[in-house]
Amino acid sequence: MNVENIYATFPELFLASCALMLLLFGVKRGNDATLFTGLIAVVVCLAAGVLLIKLPSFVEPGQAQLGVSALCHGCKAFGGMFINDAFAQFVKVLLLLASAIAIMLSWGYMERHGLERPEYPALILFATLGMMLMVSANDLLALYMGLELQSLALYVLASFRRDHVRSSEAGLKYFVLGSLSSGMLLYGISLLYGYTGSTGFEALAHVLAGEPPIGVVLGLVFVCAAMAFKVSAVPFHMWTPDVYEGAPTPVTAFFAAGPKLAALALFVRVLLQPLAGLEHQWVQVVVFMAVASMLLGSFAGLAQSNIKRLMAYSSIANVGYALVGMAVANEAGVQALLVYLSIYLVNTLGVFGVILCLRREGVMAEKIADLAGLSKSHPLLAVAMGIFMFSLAGVPPLAGFFGKYFVFLAAVQAGMLPLAIIGVLTSCVAAYYYLRIIKVMYFDDATEAAVDPVPEFSLRIVTGGAALLMLLFVFMPTPVIDSALAAAHSLMPQG
Amino acid sequence: MLLDLAAVFLPLLGALVVGLFGRSLGDRASQLVTCAGVLAAAVASVLIFHDVALSGGDTHAWVLANWITSGDFKVNWGLKIDTLTAVMLVVVNGVSAMVHIYSIGYMSHDKGVPRFMAYLSLFTFFMLMLVTSDNLLQMFFGWEGVGLSSYLLINFWYEKASANSASIKAFLVNRVGDFGFMLGIFGCYLAFGSVQFDVMFQKAPDLMQSSFSFLGASVPTLTTLCLLLFVGAMGKSAQLGLHTWLPDAMEGPTPVSALIHAATMVTAGVFMVARLSPVFEFAPDALAVVAVVGALTAIVAASIGLTQFDIKRVIAYSTMSQLGYMFFALGMSAYPAAVFHLMTHAFFKSLLFLGAGSVIHALSGEQDMRKMGGIWRKIPFTYAYMWIGSLALAGIGIPGVMGMAGFYSKDIILESAFAAGMTHHQAFGVTAYVLGLIAAFMTAFYSWRLLLLTFHGTFRGDHHTLEHAHEAPWSMLGPLVPLALGAILAGKFGYDLFVGEAMAEFWRDSILTLSYFPPRETHLGVGTTIQFAHHVSDWVGLLPLVVALAGIFMAYVFYVWAPSLPGKCARGLGALYRLVFNKYYFDELYNAVFVRTAQRVGKALWTTGDDAIIDGYGPNGVAALAVRLSQRASALETGYVYHYAFAMVIGLAGFVTWFWFWA
Amino acid sequence: MLASLIFYLFATVLVASAVMVVTARNPVHAVLFLILCFFNASGLFVLMGAEFLAFILMIVYVGAVAVLFLFVVMLLNIDFKSMRQGLRRQLPLGLGVGALLLVELAVMALHWSSDSQAFSALSTVEMVNQATNVDSTRALGRLLYTDYFYPFQVAGLILLVAMIGAIVLTLRDRKRVKRQNAAEQMDRRPEDVVEIRKVKSGEGAL
Repeated sequence: MNVENIYATFPELFLASCALMLLLFGVKRGNDATLFTGLIAVVVCLAAGVLLIKLPSFVEPGQAQLGVSALCHGCKAFGGMFINDAFAQFVKVLLLLASAIAIMLSWGYMERHGLERPEYPALILFATLGMMLMVSANDLLALYMGLELQSLALYVLASFRRDHVRSSEAGLKYFVLGSLSSGMLLYGISLLYGYTGSTGFEALAHVLAGEPPIGVVLGLVFVCAAMAFKVSAVPFHMWTPDVYEGAPTPVTAFFAAGPKLAALALFVRVLLQPLAGLEHQWVQVVVFMAVASMLLGSFAGLAQSNIKRLMAYSSIANVGYALVGMAVANEAGVQALLVYLSIYLVNTLGVFGVILCLRREGVMAEKIADLAGLSKSHPLLAVAMGIFMFSLAGVPPLAGFFGKYFVFLAAVQAGMLPLAIIGVLTSCVAAYYYLRIIKVMYFDDATEAAVDPVPEFSLRIVTGGAALLMLLFVFMPTPVIDSALAAAHSLMPQG
Repeated sequence: MLLDLAAVFLPLLGALVVGLFGRSLGDRASQLVTCAGVLAAAVASVLIFHDVALSGGDTHAWVLANWITSGDFKVNWGLKIDTLTAVMLVVVNGVSAMVHIYSIGYMSHDKGVPRFMAYLSLFTFFMLMLVTSDNLLQMFFGWEGVGLSSYLLINFWYEKASANSASIKAFLVNRVGDFGFMLGIFGCYLAFGSVQFDVMFQKAPDLMQSSFSFLGASVPTLTTLCLLLFVGAMGKSAQLGLHTWLPDAMEGPTPVSALIHAATMVTAGVFMVARLSPVFEFAPDALAVVAVVGALTAIVAASIGLTQFDIKRVIAYSTMSQLGYMFFALGMSAYPAAVFHLMTHAFFKSLLFLGAGSVIHALSGEQDMRKMGGIWRKIPFTYAYMWIGSLALAGIGIPGVMGMAGFYSKDIILESAFAAGMTHHQAFGVTAYVLGLIAAFMTAFYSWRLLLLTFHGTFRGDHHTLEHAHEAPWSMLGPLVPLALGAILAGKFGYDLFVGEAMAEFWRDSILTLSYFPPRETHLGVGTTIQFAHHVSDWVGLLPLVVALAGIFMAYVFYVWAPSLPGKCARGLGALYRLVFNKYYFDELYNAVFVRTAQRVGKALWTTGDDAIIDGYGPNGVAALAVRLSQRASALETGYVYHYAFAMVIGLAGFVTWFWFWA
Repeated sequence: MLASLIFYLFATVLVASAVMVVTARNPVHAVLFLILCFFNASGLFVLMGAEFLAFILMIVYVGAVAVLFLFVVMLLNIDFKSMRQGLRRQLPLGLGVGALLLVELAVMALHWSSDSQAFSALSTVEMVNQATNVDSTRALGRLLYTDYFYPFQVAGLILLVAMIGAIVLTLRDRKRVKRQNAAEQMDRRPEDVVEIRKVKSGEGAL
């Protein structure tokens, strides 16, 4: 094995080894050490992130302090199956951040529900590893492997609260439908392999430059369908509300952030690199899914009374906006998509942080009506939630506005005006349910006893930090925007 | 500079302090603060007047701050104080100071003293902004500000329904005028490229011949602009057509009527035309319209005044009539005469109003003259004041010796009209003169009718009221002294300065009056209207006095010697009397034409336009649709895995089929 | 000739038994048909010369997975009748969509041979394999540990996660169960666990 392989995958290797050791440690120490293992897992995630950013400067001492944005195009490993370009780096950093936050969000919840088990952080780490491999996949097989590693860990996480019927149901549903989507993916991969004789992305891109045969197009459709399942785009979204509602809340938070981002990133890479020659075909699919997701996510959310379910529809709608960026299919579109997802990630984690704070006598309050009177009992929490909701609704000057702005701007500049118009209209519809939450918090009188005081320090850090980021993005947008541009640039065919 | 600032901003300071902290300050302190502010401003105004107008100092012009800069459109907050402004400063601040002090006594039983004083001071400030402005926009700011204060003060007793509707009416009718004013301002910006007076005045002569195309017709630019601006003036100054709000505005407390609806705000239109004389002078057709409207207003208002019984309304119509005089003076290019009359009128009309207030105060709020009579013994001072005011209003004096204020100012207006008729405004001048004479007769008649009905004869009201009747306190009678002195002396001492020998020195370039060649050969040669006015035959100046005395004599005949005559006359005249008594049915006409129609259109738009179409298909319809769609979409989530899987397969099959057959 | 005959035999039985897996009323029968399915599939692998895969399929899928399935089905005693409710209502639509998809994919498969580019690429892979002249098991192993080392390792991780998942979701830590610990028993000494107290008469613990 070459040393390059280790260098290129060092953060992943680090993460895998740490996860294995953590697992061993957890098994040895039993359930009492859960908090400790969780802490270590957070540190591991952050350390992997630092490695990811700083490693290139160790590996290539000739090139000074490059950072995420200026990595060489395509640091490949394992015979070109693995690629670590700026795009992968950008997404991975976000993923690691999301995982660290998801673990932090879980502490109090797991303890109160008798779920303090060391496997939880380990599974999150494995899922994160799977996501990182997905993002770095440069071969259909590597793609599939990463996807399955991530999915399997997620299936288990969804039913982690195994004594709770909804949680088990969520895990099982996710598993069955996920298997179906995996089947579609494999079928699509086999079609692509059968018609091109290759699974490597470069080779595929090379072969698919001309007019594609129908088999390749259908292979593309199958791959797209599987990807759409993972990002929960309409019409492959059906699992989302049930799984989001049934899974333990910290896991839902994780679902809404990490896997969604990873799957979208993978989706973008697959469409823009190996299948770039089929752009004419897949743009139709993506446009349809974008429009359908925006419409369904916005309208179906109106009727929800459970806030986790609401967030599920919100995530469907948001995937629709992200797909708009994908449908644009140029550098600006990918940049917009990455900016959008970065903001959405922080935003949604913040929302789930607030949801996790809502407890009444130890029981999670998940109905929207439970938020009534929050502004009086917990003014700071209500303000944070208000910021998140305004941001999701896209009200300037909060960060969510800029996410939508970049996406729609990219769409308009690429001549996809109808898409942008539908996006704006549906975000108006969706604004209703975001603003309703604010209305409930500020104008409805509490019917039941006030929710318990906010307990964990970690929750406070996460929600407060996320709210501040949403609020202050307007002052410091350049780091995110520039890195996203570099990432998008690295994804595009060079020269 | 400091003096100018004090004259303008002290009332604002008082208004702010009392308006914001009035409750904690209490009544006494509120009165003290506002009165002190306005008194100080009045003193400053007199000093400024002395400096600018009397000793021939330079025009004060200050730029205080930048207001709007947008492209090449620039407007500053500025002060421009020349003779015209200085006159207005003295009138506004002087009358305002007297009214402030008077209000201490008049409003002593009211529970909203701080609010009232704050509004009064605020009004004073806006009026000062209006008169000191050096551009149209800032003038408009003051213009709207006085409108607002007027609204607030008419509606001061907001529990009264009639006060509510009167204030809303005042506001709405003024809006019609303001719309014209705004169009005028926009047009001025288009035509002159600026709303700064200096720039406008400089460019006005060049635009005399210019015209623009409107709906295919060629329209003279300056005439149009001046007419639009004049529509604004008509609204504010209650000229015929837009006058209906003024009588109703008497619902406000009497000091308000005296200050706003007699002495100052209603004269804003006169001031505006005088201020813009360098523009109006180049639009002779517009001036003709001003003259006609003014003359008609003078006579129509006076005729209505003959028949009214509410003491304040009589004076209100009298005010309107006098404003008509001022406008026809303006229309004859006799701006100095108009401003002269404005000044004298401010004194005697506020004196009359405050005197009427004193009567009402004495009779516990009674305003109907039919329930008064014979109370001159009870309130001798008020009686005296009313006599002075009426004499001044009717323009009584001994020619060549001494006369009341109105004697001089009304005479010069009528003489100007006659002179204009003899020289350049032939068609209008003589007519205006005749109409003015008739109006003068009526003025004298209704003034004495008011005096006789109120103070003479036997008391016709409730005897309790009579027993309670008492002379007003000194805080109310005191402020009337300067006003009474003004009503007696302002004409005598102002004549030379305003319209006489010292005129040119006095006005300098604050008013522009073009000179005309008389069409017929006269020995005078070239001159302005006023210059001609000094050279008309003696009978022209004497006639107004004669008809005024005749009016007084008639009043005595009707209301002292033959009290049955008014009733007989009213019956004899029948329809004509009813027409006049009902104010020529202006209100009814407006109600039928504008108010009802607007209501009907509004209701139609509301029920069919807004409710049915916009709401039905708009917010409500979309919302209902969204809810339905939402329920459909959520109903898709059945919870069965195989439904979900099936949906995925259908989606997949859909995409595959699409690519097989359509793509 | 014979090879194709055997191919069609295996293929026909494979498809038929696959249909039976779905349609069989008795779940035990369904699992047995599944096993038949696997058998035929491994027969096809043998025909292609992939004997390693064939045996793996037999050993892992038939030997372990399907038998486990059988146990589970027998133990759980699931009422399949109730699960079939609504089938009749949705059957036409399902059949329609399925048939559409089937036809489309079949037509697509017919187009395959005409695509020369991919065909040549695939046949070069075959030629390389033939040239090295090793049996398929060895070739597979060589590939797995060289070219496909990376997916192979990740597959290991996937299996690990699957194992963790199974344990997390099923292992119960029963607190009340007493377990024997021999070493602990041996270590016990009377002086550690027995305390002797003098008790006055009439004041003993109740």
